[in-house]
Amino acid sequence: MTGGDPQPGGNARSDKLAALLARTALGDQRAFAELYALASAHLYAVAIRIMRDGAIAEEMLQEAFVSVWHHAGTYDAAKSQPLTWLTSIVRNRCLDRLRRREVDTETLTPRDDDEAPAWEPPSEGPTPVELLLAAADARALRGCLDGLEPGPRQAIALAFFRGLSHRELAAHLREPLGTVKSWVRRGLATLRRCLDAAGAVE
Amino acid sequence: MNLSRSDRRERLDRLASEFALGTSPPRVRRRLIAIARRDRVVAAALSEWERRMAVLADQVPPVTPPPRAWRNIVARLGLDPEGTSQRETPWWQRLAFWRTLAIASLAGVIAIGIGEWRRAPVIVPAPLVVVLSDPDAKVALIATATRGERYLTLKTVSNARPGPDKAYELWALPQTGAPHALGVIPAGDVVRVPLDNPVDETLSNISTLAVSLEPPGGSPTGKPTGPVLYSGRIERMY
Repeated sequence: MTGGDPQPGGNARSDKLAALLARTALGDQRAFAELYALASAHLYAVAIRIMRDGAIAEEMLQEAFVSVWHHAGTYDAAKSQPLTWLTSIVRNRCLDRLRRREVDTETLTPRDDDEAPAWEPPSEGPTPVELLLAAADARALRGCLDGLEPGPRQAIALAFFRGLSHRELAAHLREPLGTVKSWVRRGLATLRRCLDAAGAVE
Repeated sequence: MNLSRSDRRERLDRLASEFALGTSPPRVRRRLIAIARRDRVVAAALSEWERRMAVLADQVPPVTPPPRAWRNIVARLGLDPEGTSQRETPWWQRLAFWRTLAIASLAGVIAIGIGEWRRAPVIVPAPLVVVLSDPDAKVALIATATRGERYLTLKTVSNARPGPDKAYELWALPQTGAPHALGVIPAGDVVRVPLDNPVDETLSNISTLAVSLEPPGGSPTGKPTGPVLYSGRIERMY
């Protein structure tokens, strides 16, 4: 363990991002550009995974940064890491858009396989479950997370990385809504226990 | 409701966890965000879970967005289009560089409008004018062309000279991709750079002209090798 930094990537980057956010709040355009240079690739990647459409992800990224320019002053370094704060803005935009779309059209159909390859362009890289396990490895909590059965594990991974709602999870995993909801709840409880235990060790 | 204090805490924790996971129904999401603005306990619960989930988000391999994403943000906010995300890329792909120079050139156009053009009205009627400036917006060269002609006329308006064993080379920068050479600029105050094709064709997808410092005879590699000294956005008058 390398100290109490809650995010890999280091304190230096977090400090830099926090300073850039502070300067952005003062209307410093260069700081804003630098902030974009440092954070956009991470945020865009998060958006692409959720939206599964480069053009819409781009739109979400743009909206998020327009919002950051206007609301950088509300960032509180004492309360959250800058990248976490930025990621939340992007995720919220994406989820809002997804849920709106979900109301408009019923686009999802249940699939026979667990990973639904049709959703996953080959270039997308690791699957949601692989990302979840990578996070576990990165935080040395693989052993803890291995206690989670495949169902809840997949429900958590798909919900977080792909932005699936309970209903979409149920359709995707071909399980009753109630089962999926309890998987999510169980998954979150395990995640919390594992992450907090790992955090306490540091 | 007859919820005990610990029940309420548990319920808030569950709502916050599903919020951070992303599975909250839209109405619940919106309400939580609204409540968190005025309720510190709710705000803390949300950010605690967002912090936990950040460990997951960190695992997503980064994907560099296309350059237009930043341009669109800048345009939507009406900011000065400077600054960039591409520091490691070759200078000729660095948008900030071109943008800065383009702004410099615009400033140059204004300066020229009240100064140089009055002194040299002969270049005004040309249908295509490019003011090439240094990064400090100091105008160095003015390129003009007339439709259909196979050369660009370059007029030196400062004391910009390449020096004895160097040459200025003129480059055309397309909207995307690497610049291509238009040729070495001959010595002299007003000179012509010959083109293989008519001006309209040569510059049809070109947004910017630039001048780099090269060995005599021009870049040996086909790409600019020396520093880019001057640049200007193409202003079409037709």
